[in-house]
Amino acid sequence: MLFTRCAPLALVFLLVPAVAARSAPVGQAAARVGEGKQLFQGMCGRCHGIDGTGEEGPNLARPTLTRAVDDDSLRAIIRDGIPDRGMPRVRRMTDTELDQLVAYVRVLGRSPAATSTGNAQRGGEIYRRLGCASCHIIQGQGSSFGPDLTDIGASRGPTYLRQSFLGPAEMLPRGSSPVPGRGFTEYLPVHAITSDGKDVTGVRINEDPFTIQLRDTSNKFHSFRKADLKQLDKEFGKSLMPSFRGRLTDVENEDLVAFLANLRGAK
Amino acid sequence: MLLHPLGALAQVPYPRIAAAETTPDDWLTYSGNYQAQRFSPLTQINRQNVAQLKPFWVYQVRRTGIVETSPIVADGVMYITEPPSTVTALDVRTGRPLWTWTPAIPADVIVIGSPPVNRGVAVLDDNVFVGTIHGHLIALDAKSGAVRWDVAVDDNKFGYYVTTAPLALDGKIVVGVSGAEAGIRGFLDAYDPKTGKRLWRSFTIPGPGEPGFGTWGGDSWKTGGGSSWLTGSYDPALNLIYWGTGNPGPDWNGDVRPGDNLYTCSLIAIDATTGRLKWHFQFTPHDTHDWDANEIPILFDAPINGRPRKLVAMANRNAFYYVLDRETGEFLVGTPYAKQTWADGLDAKGRPRVRPGLDPSVEGTLVFPNIQGASNWPSPSYSPQTKLFYQPAREMGTYFYKGESKYKPGDPFVAGGGRAVNGDDAWGAVRALEATTGKLKWEFKLLTPPWTGLLSTGGGLVFGGTEEGNFFALDADTGKPLWDLQLGAAVKANPMSFAVDGKQYVAIAAGYALYVFGLP
Repeated sequence: MLFTRCAPLALVFLLVPAVAARSAPVGQAAARVGEGKQLFQGMCGRCHGIDGTGEEGPNLARPTLTRAVDDDSLRAIIRDGIPDRGMPRVRRMTDTELDQLVAYVRVLGRSPAATSTGNAQRGGEIYRRLGCASCHIIQGQGSSFGPDLTDIGASRGPTYLRQSFLGPAEMLPRGSSPVPGRGFTEYLPVHAITSDGKDVTGVRINEDPFTIQLRDTSNKFHSFRKADLKQLDKEFGKSLMPSFRGRLTDVENEDLVAFLANLRGAK
Repeated sequence: MLLHPLGALAQVPYPRIAAAETTPDDWLTYSGNYQAQRFSPLTQINRQNVAQLKPFWVYQVRRTGIVETSPIVADGVMYITEPPSTVTALDVRTGRPLWTWTPAIPADVIVIGSPPVNRGVAVLDDNVFVGTIHGHLIALDAKSGAVRWDVAVDDNKFGYYVTTAPLALDGKIVVGVSGAEAGIRGFLDAYDPKTGKRLWRSFTIPGPGEPGFGTWGGDSWKTGGGSSWLTGSYDPALNLIYWGTGNPGPDWNGDVRPGDNLYTCSLIAIDATTGRLKWHFQFTPHDTHDWDANEIPILFDAPINGRPRKLVAMANRNAFYYVLDRETGEFLVGTPYAKQTWADGLDAKGRPRVRPGLDPSVEGTLVFPNIQGASNWPSPSYSPQTKLFYQPAREMGTYFYKGESKYKPGDPFVAGGGRAVNGDDAWGAVRALEATTGKLKWEFKLLTPPWTGLLSTGGGLVFGGTEEGNFFALDADTGKPLWDLQLGAAVKANPMSFAVDGKQYVAIAAGYALYVFGLP
């Protein structure tokens, strides 16, 4: 049995530029966010990472926090902690401090409204023409081999969105979903050969030291014990999504970006 | 029925704990014996039959939270803790609770530096001892859970709290504290098991006029951290307690505390009778990466260069494996057991040759190991049969950031933080090291840096677990996997083993449950 690990280390912090590129809110709101950042780094950074992308505690740089869907619930969590999940109430905080922390945590996971120069309507036509729906779902329509794009514009900025179809291999999402979670590369291409010679290519769904779960290119689910495989290649740096680099004009690229950036959740 | 006069027949007297290896059916201390080897001499579950291991019973905790408990078993009763500071006694034959006790934790309790967890109890005579997140040490009657006494170890308003299992010695309960991230001044305490009266306190940070005080600039010693948050080991013959100490405060900005910052990130040897420091060894002088040295110090005897030595070994959070003479603290061996980028090895005295420019910075400095370290609280194990030191090793880096912190009582005092290199770029392994040299004998790779401790057994097995929820057994000689089972949630606890009615069992907590496994 052979385990190959083709791991270009360039992938390590791929998502960070998208975060850094966000424009800061203005005036009072910006000040509140700034104060919140200071508080966050002192109070929260040890578990959630200094930039909120997770350490022992979960990644907060996500568009939707399942335990804090609105600001009130986020405020309550910061105020009281989630003791049964291991989040302490760090200390009693003032209302102002809570406001500042809520403001900062919200900034972590939301990209600002699209600033793309493209035409979203024309982008939608390109999306249909390229057959993207054969792998992606928007508002319940399409196939599920690739990521659901229904609210992709809320979680990703234009730079990321552009790169995701020009060079998808460099833009595989990491740790944005609870499965496989913990910052693992999602939709990682894997190639498995079973001991009886069956050859399966697909994307990794989940993995542990003893087993791996994947979906093949026809979107069929497979589960293997690694000990039963003759070969298992995890193809870091590759993607099963084709690159559209050179297949669209610059204007079309921007139109598609505008279309994706406008996908901000179910209406 | 005739009742024994009170106290006439103590259930778990000190001599019984000191001779733990002669009664392997029980598991009487956090790490199984005073040497902290987390080794069970039981042989019934072994290489030949471990593949048949099946769940025997499962206990679900009452209140969810991270279950890091390491059970204790005495005379058919298992004592566990549940988050945050609950103690429960279980019938080991059925998993049915016998009693459970929860302290009244104030709503404004301060827990800075770790989740609100508890790692286990100590037993001595007829009592069970537990530390709490509001900083108390409490003695409970082992039969009923009734409170015998309750003392505040120190003031939680300043961030002192307890997650560690106390250690029961002859006439003493030794307990450490957490709170370095709140700028406490750390210490190790001993209490009278009968009354709760404090017998001694040994500060991990020297005060004015004491040796080592000069390793702290200005008033920085007052908020210097050096907590004692994991259970140490004990040599009855030398009457010495071995205990690891944590990071200096604030964690990631060392400018405000110039000097080596003794005795943080050190192993201290304390006279059990007086509480006096016999010797110390500092692994990471002037730490700025949060590499606490609280990891379990394992005691064993072996020849080094042909001469029999009494040894203590630690796989430190800073990624080096150390062997010291436990009578004198003399440095004997130090070698990396995981990826590290911060030191060009160690000098003849064991002091690291620190590479310049790797302190935390405003823009972030990538260093291996990461903030949680190459090791952490999950226990290593030493097998006297294989003479191997088994270590759950964490292969992960962090971008370390430097910030500012003003000390305010009960507030975080950390001055920075980190951003982890996570996911597919981090991994882990169970590593078997030759105990006297640190040389790698074998490794079993894990997908994620582990938070599970290890148990080695007389049956030639090493039990461990994963963040993905696997619980597994490896061949102690080769590392070959022999059995595994998915427990449904991350395993963040230490395994242990016991026997009852002539049958051996292995226990481990995972998710919100405690699992006990046995042969069909």
